[in-house]
Amino acid sequence: MRESQLKVLQYIAGIALFFFVAIHVVVSHVFGDSVSWEAVSGRAASAGWLAFYVLLLIFGLYHGIHGLRTIILELPIPKPPAKVIDGTLVVIGIAIFGYAVYIPINALLTL
Amino acid sequence: MEKAKAAGSGNRPLSNRLGIKSWIWGGNYTLERYLYTLHRLTGLGMLLFITVHLVAHGFRLGGVESWSDIMTVFGHPGFKVGEYLVITAFIIHALNGARLILQQLGYTLGKPKTPVYPYVDSLRRRRPMVWVMLGLITALAIFFLIVFVT
Repeated sequence: MRESQLKVLQYIAGIALFFFVAIHVVVSHVFGDSVSWEAVSGRAASAGWLAFYVLLLIFGLYHGIHGLRTIILELPIPKPPAKVIDGTLVVIGIAIFGYAVYIPINALLTL
Repeated sequence: MEKAKAAGSGNRPLSNRLGIKSWIWGGNYTLERYLYTLHRLTGLGMLLFITVHLVAHGFRLGGVESWSDIMTVFGHPGFKVGEYLVITAFIIHALNGARLILQQLGYTLGKPKTPVYPYVDSLRRRRPMVWVMLGLITALAIFFLIVFVT
């Protein structure tokens, strides 16, 4: 994928994140007691909220990891070839995604 | 010749000699350059927070007691301050990001005009937008501070 296309995806993910994070913060942390076990389990059991959080995760991980890649590639530090950095960051991203998705799926299965 | 190459002559991009130090100081920086530094710092801060946030969510796997224990820890005033800082970082990163996207797409350049002395460069033409953005950041940061305190 070309660098310009990756950058456009970075912008799209950033715009999407603005709305997703705003909803997440307002619903979960600003108004009401939404971090109680019942509230969190209730959201995890809802297919709509699950889809919302998976999308939030995808946009967040892409935006964050691509941003980190930009910073790493820009700094004049001894580093392996760009492809090695890209591969490592992709593996880290997939691992975090897998771990984060496993939590609500596990909760659903044990309900 | 080697010196010229290192300085970025020809088709080679300029080398980033100062590295991370250039985030703080590298000459006659403008306000926008410091916003660039702030954008990176808030981005890295939120990336660190997401990691901690996901680890905290992992406590759900331990059941109700495990979840209650971690929520008690996060109820500590120190974490509340941290939570407020994350929200402020999000506001700064989001609004500055919106400004960068608008600039990148050329929406803030204004209509072309005949240059009349004293000339106004594109950075200064966009400056009012920066002040509006900083005003919005301050207003939202105060709003969320009130929400957190009350």
